[in-house]
Amino acid sequence: MAGGLAASYGTFFAYSGRFLYPARPAERGWMYVAVANDLQVGDALTYRTPAGAGVTVARQGDEGGVGDFIALSSVCPHLGCQVFWEANNDRFFCPCHNGAFDPSGKPKSGPVAEANQSLPEYELRIEDGLLMINVELESLVSVSTRQPRDERTA
Amino acid sequence: MASIVAWFRQRIPLSGVKLRELTNEPVPNHLKTWWWCLGGTPAYLFVVQIITGILLAFYYEPSPQTAYESVRYITEEAAFGWYIRSVHKWAATLMIAAVILHQIRVFFTGAYRKPRELNWMIGCCLLMCTLVIGFTGYSLVYEQLSYWGATVGANIADTVPFVGGFFKQMLLAGETYNERTLPRFFILHAAVLPTVMILLITIHIFFIRLQGVTEFRFGDEPTDQPTHYQFFPDHLMKELIIGLVLMILLSALATALPVTMGPPADPLTTPEVIKPEWFFYATFRWLKMFTGVAAVLSMGFIVFVMFIWPFIDAAVRRFLPRSEFSVWVGILGAAAIIGLTVYEALVVH
Repeated sequence: MAGGLAASYGTFFAYSGRFLYPARPAERGWMYVAVANDLQVGDALTYRTPAGAGVTVARQGDEGGVGDFIALSSVCPHLGCQVFWEANNDRFFCPCHNGAFDPSGKPKSGPVAEANQSLPEYELRIEDGLLMINVELESLVSVSTRQPRDERTA
Repeated sequence: MASIVAWFRQRIPLSGVKLRELTNEPVPNHLKTWWWCLGGTPAYLFVVQIITGILLAFYYEPSPQTAYESVRYITEEAAFGWYIRSVHKWAATLMIAAVILHQIRVFFTGAYRKPRELNWMIGCCLLMCTLVIGFTGYSLVYEQLSYWGATVGANIADTVPFVGGFFKQMLLAGETYNERTLPRFFILHAAVLPTVMILLITIHIFFIRLQGVTEFRFGDEPTDQPTHYQFFPDHLMKELIIGLVLMILLSALATALPVTMGPPADPLTTPEVIKPEWFFYATFRWLKMFTGVAAVLSMGFIVFVMFIWPFIDAAVRRFLPRSEFSVWVGILGAAAIIGLTVYEALVVH
C-alpha cells in the first residue's frame, strides 16, 4: 500500500516538476558582425544579438588576428542588469548595484570589484576577413511593439 | 417560512447557542488597545487584495506583448479601473507595513515564547509570503521596474549555492527573462501564493484558538476589574471599526494618490536610476554593500535566525533568566533595517 502510494504520487510529482522545468537551453550560432579591417585600433561598435542583447565589439590590437578584437556583454555579471557606457568616467556602469568596469570589462568598483567579476566576453572568429560572433539565437521577450532608439542599433 | 428554517436546521444542525460557544472566546483586556489589533489588520487587507485582485484579473493579460497595455487599459480606460488598481496597490503597501509592525510587536512583547514557537515560525512564513507576493505583484505590470526587478530577483536566487540555478530556471522558465516568464509570475501571484497564505493564516488562527491569545497585564490596570471581555459583540465591533477606517483610508489614498504607469519594460536598457518598492530598500542597499553570494547568504542567515529566534531566545534565557538580550537584538535589527531603508531612499545610487 505504502509503496503503491509512494510510486503513484511520486510519479505524479516528478512529472509535474519536469513539466515546469524549462525544456532546453537556448541554441547558439555564429553571426556576422563587421568586416574585420573596417575596424581600426581604438574603434568600437555596439552589436545587437538576435536575442536583442547589446555587445560592445572593440579593436584593441593590430596583430592581424582575432585576438585584436574583444566582444563584451552588456549584461552585468552581478545580478543581470544592463550596463551602459559613461564616457565622462571612462567606464561601463551598472545602475542596479553601482558596479563599474573599465573599457576592457575588468571590474573597477562596487560588488563586482569585490567579487572580481568581469563583463562576460563573447567568442569571436574571423572567416574570410569577416568578424563573426558566437551568440544565443533565441529571442528575448518581444520588443516589437516599441520603436528602438537610434543609438541601440549597431 | 418556518418550514424553510426547519429544512435548513435539519441539514445544518448548528444552533445559535452552539455558534456563539464556538466563536465567543474570551479576549484579554489588552486587545482593547488599538496597537494590539495589528494581527487582524493584515487579514482584513488580505481579503481586500483577493477581491480587488480577482477584479483586476478580468482584464489583465499575462504576456510580454499584452501585459503593459492591459494594465494601462485598466488604469486609464476601464470604468473605475484606476480606483480598483489603486486600492489593490495601497492595500498591498498597508498590508506589508501591518505584517511588519505585527511581527515587531510580537517580537518585543515576547509573544513568540513557549508554547507559541511554531506560530511565530508560521508568522515568519507569512511575512516572507507577503514580501514575495508584493514582489511578484509589481513584476506583473511589465514596466521597467517590473522587468529589472524580476531579473535581479531571479539572479539573486541563482547565487544560492547548489540549488540556486534550479530555482532561477523554475522562476524564469529559462536562463533569462523570456516569453514564458510573465505567466509564471502571474500564477505565483494570483494562485500559488494566495493558496499558501490562506493555508498558513488558517493554521495561524487555529493555533491562536488552541493556545489562546498571549495575555499581558499593565501596571495601571485596576485589579478588581474582569481580565477578559467577550469576542462577540465587543471585539467584533472593534474589528469592524478597523475595517471601516481601513476602507476609508484606502479610498482616500487611492483617490489622492492613484497609481500611475511607469515606462514600459525595455529588456535592452536598464534605467540609469532604478529602485525597487520601499519594502526592498534595505535588501537593495545590502546587495550594493557586499558581493552577490555574500549578500544573499548573509540575508538568508538573518532570515533563518529570525525564523528560529524563539529557540535561541530560550537558550539565552536559560543561562541569563533576566537578560534583555532579545530586546537589544530587536532594537539593533530594527535600527539596521530602518537605517538601510532611509539611506537607500535618500541617495540616487
